[in-house]
Amino acid sequence: MADGTQVAHAWTKAEILSLFDPATGKLDRRVLSDEGIYQLELERIFARGWNFMCHESQLKGPGDYLISYIGEDQVIVVRDEEGGINVLLNTCRHRGNALCRAEQGRAKSFVCSYHGWNYALDGRLIGVPGQKTYYHDELDRSRLGLARARVENYLGFYFATLADDAPPLYDYLGDVGRTGLGMVCAHGDVEVVAGVQKNIVDCNWKIAVDNLFDWYHVPYSHVSAHTAGFFDIAAILHPKNQMVMLGEWGHAIGGPAIPREMQAQIDAMSDEQREAASRAIENSPRLRPRQATELMGPIGVRSQGHPNIFPNLWITLDGAQLCLRLPRGPSATELWWFTVVPKAAPPALKRRLVSMATHFFGPAGLLEQDDGENWSQSTRAARGVASRSLGQHLSMGLGHGEVVVGANDERFVEGLVSEHGQRWLYRAWTEWMAAHDWADLEANHSPPPAGVI
Amino acid sequence: MTTLETTRPDATSRRTPALSERALLQYEVEQFLYEEAALLDARRYRDWLGLLADDIHYWMPIRRTVTLSDLDLEFTRPGEMAFFDDDREMLEMRVRKLEAGSAWSEDPPSRSRHFVSNVRLLEIDRDEVTVEACFQLCRSRLNSEASTWVGRRIDVLRRDGEAFRLARRQLFLDQTIILSTNMSTIF
Repeated sequence: MADGTQVAHAWTKAEILSLFDPATGKLDRRVLSDEGIYQLELERIFARGWNFMCHESQLKGPGDYLISYIGEDQVIVVRDEEGGINVLLNTCRHRGNALCRAEQGRAKSFVCSYHGWNYALDGRLIGVPGQKTYYHDELDRSRLGLARARVENYLGFYFATLADDAPPLYDYLGDVGRTGLGMVCAHGDVEVVAGVQKNIVDCNWKIAVDNLFDWYHVPYSHVSAHTAGFFDIAAILHPKNQMVMLGEWGHAIGGPAIPREMQAQIDAMSDEQREAASRAIENSPRLRPRQATELMGPIGVRSQGHPNIFPNLWITLDGAQLCLRLPRGPSATELWWFTVVPKAAPPALKRRLVSMATHFFGPAGLLEQDDGENWSQSTRAARGVASRSLGQHLSMGLGHGEVVVGANDERFVEGLVSEHGQRWLYRAWTEWMAAHDWADLEANHSPPPAGVI
Repeated sequence: MTTLETTRPDATSRRTPALSERALLQYEVEQFLYEEAALLDARRYRDWLGLLADDIHYWMPIRRTVTLSDLDLEFTRPGEMAFFDDDREMLEMRVRKLEAGSAWSEDPPSRSRHFVSNVRLLEIDRDEVTVEACFQLCRSRLNSEASTWVGRRIDVLRRDGEAFRLARRQLFLDQTIILSTNMSTIF
């Protein structure tokens, strides 16, 4: 169809909603392997939602560009002469050829290598060979610019959507999404360290996403990194001091949190006292300065866990890394790792953050190696006829969580390691998948709950 | 602008030994590299650690697909992000992890084959030899996974009595996006 929608898919609204049962935590395993579901995800989740593109520091001057994706649509993210950032579909309006083949670089304009159509940094078609002769001056170039996505930013993090009816980014992020990006900037303005680690894992993208809320796997999946002396599981896990924050549209944050009483003590300290205390406790997350409470809110500032901005942007290492999980078919996901450092951090701290990021995650990271293996095998082993008819089991903590409503309407659960975050993710996923457009989604999605979950 | 990938074809040694001496050194270096590869393929990681200098730097920058005009952006630089940026302590941790019996990405263990070729001595010092080589690392995992990593590397071998120690390894991979679930194998 002309609007890009797949011609036929068998999944009805009722069928989609039945793929996950929030009352039992049972997920239909077909969501991890079905091609029809995957195509629907590209349309109803990735083309509809706000997708992370880059941080402003990655595109310093006019013509600086990089390649990213909205689902499987490749886009050019480029800074123009006016300083604005444009997100353009990387497909020539003539015959569809990719204009950019490099991952990043500097361009004055984008010239198609097929017939030489030339596009400005804002996507306008500015040159067509043979415009006067072969086209008899009849080609309306003004209608043949590159397709542009909507672009907005929060704290210098740029996102794009292909949906004209999507809410503004600020509202889309909501309290929880903004807390997540606030975590990245908690120690001041950041810049991205050069080099995005990229690798492809043969897993369904949702397995990678639900894993980020999963603090249950840490002591088992990552025990070898602990045994090797790379990290101390007890120092980061805190299985009884966990907090899950639930946000609109499926955003969530899950993981360890600073207990309320301890945060009250931190709140009473000056920034200088916090820095001194951080230096005294080795290998512990640096205490956040006062401004962090403004960025993350009084509840969010206690989180030392993992935010996910729905659908696929994970924030980790206390805000030092962002990981995109890009879908590449039902059984393949590209992982892109962005590492940030506070601009004002002393060189020694920057080196430490970069070293930590290099060795924890990425394909050679001492933790990530084993994650990739588990996700790949979880995708593979669950797709056979009999195997896929068994449900995924996501019942941990079900009925034992109490969602507290904070003074700013934050919705959060405190207590033990649980699967509240994963259940919230899949519940949102079914609602996104069942909705025909934003109006449908706005009318029929679940607001973050209160009370027992 | 010179890129990390550019080798100076005219790289001259600080002193130019006679051919017979160079041939002998070439032989010694190659034997060291083959021996090292054999240790890794045999999973003799402790013995492999024995070949490393205490101050080793083991580094694999990130490579990017860039146009000819942007070749200066092809590799990340020291201090930027990398796939490997390890000192001896980190390499020992990687070995301890492989030995832990709970490194799920390496149990069942991968079958690896390290190929080293096109060995050239770029610089010969009294104590150190800078060696360029092409490498191919083939990894076969479980029943259906196969990874091949190809690239160029620059090693610094340091004299230690009759033997060499590996004092620096720079791995310039040809892949940009790593087409594998992980890189749990030592290069």
